Amino acid sequence: MTCEPVTNPKQKQATIRYLRDIAVAGALYIVFVLAGALVVRHLDPPQFLKILLAIAPMAPALLMLRAYLVHLNSMDEFQRRMQNDALLISTAIIVFGSFAWGFLEEWAELPRVGMLWIFPTFSLLFAVVHTVIRFRNK
Amino acid sequence: MRNRLKVLRAERNWSQADLADKLDVSRQSVNAIETGKYDPSLPLAFKIAKVFALPIEQIFSDDEVVAQAAE
Repeated sequence: MTCEPVTNPKQKQATIRYLRDIAVAGALYIVFVLAGALVVRHLDPPQFLKILLAIAPMAPALLMLRAYLVHLNSMDEFQRRMQNDALLISTAIIVFGSFAWGFLEEWAELPRVGMLWIFPTFSLLFAVVHTVIRFRNK
Repeated sequence: MRNRLKVLRAERNWSQADLADKLDVSRQSVNAIETGKYDPSLPLAFKIAKVFALPIEQIFSDDEVVAQAAE
């Protein structure tokens, strides 16, 4: 989430902690998703277990959210503003974009896109928007 | 809002990174304040005043007031 080297020791420490927390939560997320997919595809578990397995990755996702919020609070006010701007712009694009796509699916019979794509698309969009904002404020 | 951050910093031979360290903010934030892209919060403005050992009004000034004075 940073484009230039962090020199401030406090910020450096916060960035290391953030990267560590995100790596742990991300690894757990991958394990939960892969394990869930394996169990559902090969063992055909009962419905309640399928539901549990489907929502299980939310636990590491919440850990990621926590890591991000801790990191956000460690930033200075201008960095926080850039993060907030990037969040607002990418959220608005995803919300209105998915809404518009919904109408396109209904009215113009465009291919259906699963909700699974919202999170990765949002993450990618946030990274792009944040990079542009950072570049403009270099 | 206008500010004299760049001039004051140059007078002391400080780089943006030096000032950022003294203020405990990123260099990018110092640059954004200097170029007028970002107006600091009141606590940060006071911190800046403390670092330069100047009253806050000698560093920051209101655009409208400056424009009126020029007229």
